[in-house]
Amino acid sequence: MAALCKVVSGLRTGTCVFPKRAIDICKSLYSTDSGETSEGKAVEETQKPAADKVKSGFAAAYEQHTDLQQRQNQTGTTVRFGSTRNEKSFASLLRNSPLIQMGPAKDKMVIGKIFHIIKDDLYIDFGAKFHCVCKRPTVDGEKYQRGSRVRLRLEDLELTSRFLGANTDTTLLEADAFLLGLIESKDAKTKE
Amino acid sequence: MAPGVFTKGLCGLHHRLVAAGYSCSGPLCASAAAVKTLPLQTDSTDVTDKILNLPLEMPDFFRLSELFSLKDLFDARVHLGHKKGCRHRLMEPYLFGSRLDQDIIDLDQTVEHLQSALNFTAHIAYRGGVILFVSRRRQFGHLVEITAQDCGEYAHTRYWQGGLLTNAPIQYGPGVRLPDLIVFLSTLNNVFQQHVGVRDAAKMNIPTVGLVDSNCNPSLVTYPVPGNDDTPAAMELYCRLFKMTINRAKDKRRQMELLRGLSAVGLTPGS
Repeated sequence: MAALCKVVSGLRTGTCVFPKRAIDICKSLYSTDSGETSEGKAVEETQKPAADKVKSGFAAAYEQHTDLQQRQNQTGTTVRFGSTRNEKSFASLLRNSPLIQMGPAKDKMVIGKIFHIIKDDLYIDFGAKFHCVCKRPTVDGEKYQRGSRVRLRLEDLELTSRFLGANTDTTLLEADAFLLGLIESKDAKTKE
Repeated sequence: MAPGVFTKGLCGLHHRLVAAGYSCSGPLCASAAAVKTLPLQTDSTDVTDKILNLPLEMPDFFRLSELFSLKDLFDARVHLGHKKGCRHRLMEPYLFGSRLDQDIIDLDQTVEHLQSALNFTAHIAYRGGVILFVSRRRQFGHLVEITAQDCGEYAHTRYWQGGLLTNAPIQYGPGVRLPDLIVFLSTLNNVFQQHVGVRDAAKMNIPTVGLVDSNCNPSLVTYPVPGNDDTPAAMELYCRLFKMTINRAKDKRRQMELLRGLSAVGLTPGS
């Protein structure tokens, strides 16, 4: 496939010298796809940068992808919809986000922040869709206040399960994590 | 035989409908006349018309596209959906994909939908419409109420009585004004069923703006906005955006009225 691409690019630019066998292969490809009769015409048209007749098959796909790339390079400099700081696409933002880079959530170490406390239950947010709820540990229990940063070992990002006779999963709207301990920082601010 | 009978029946129905049409437009006209105020002077009605029609000529009159960007939505975790098993079939067009069983909402579509929803909200607020914020999420009930209070609109985050919209004249007295727009910051109630208000608003011809997560049904919502409705960061972003939109629209209306020299005490109801 790579060799074929190189030959085709050579044909389009018309710069590189290619063996006769490649010409025959390409000619046969284009002639079968387009249905042209004369061989010379097919070769001439493949050498033109912007062909008059509609290309089909591999040639059309190749053209489409090079156009897309050129258009992407051009529009990369123009202002996108919204504001000037919105340069990256959603797909690239997503791909480079920590949630995707992390992979499966099982047994991953994350840092979370306690945002709510009800008696012994600590509600910890670690940057995913849901928070997790952990019991206050017996060791250093008083140090866990609102705004404290803690270390967690994740089990699941969302506790869902499908019960018998149900159409959709039942979700608890919570993540599941195991509390490891406090982050060793002295400035634990308490949030109002 | 059967087609003949059928056409005769249709003709009869048509005649009855025409007669009924005339009879029921009578009371409708009467109520419309009762609502209309005393005939104003012609030049002030022209000015009022101009004020009301000018925003409709531009696609983004209130410049709401500068309020948010895709990056803001991404940082507020708007693209995170529920697990694959919780997915609603009708939300599939709005999903970018699924990563390790967690649905990811397509933010490119969300940006467009949010833009049109905010634009619609701004136009309603510009024309002095009543906007009702509804959310049955107990975690964000206070946030929604504070948002509504800050922009001078209304919120309903408690138990929704069955006939609130459909039985309003009997429950709240005759001549009660229903909301002109209902904004659902979560379309589900606590039992993961759709909020009754979505269906009732559709019954009462009230347009709705709704935040639909990957487990919600977007079909009855007029302006669905696919996005996360479970994370506090995302909810705070939405509340902030709606508040800014409504305030901006109302300020613009006051500015237009001052410019045209109309000394209206409050916002005049839209015609």
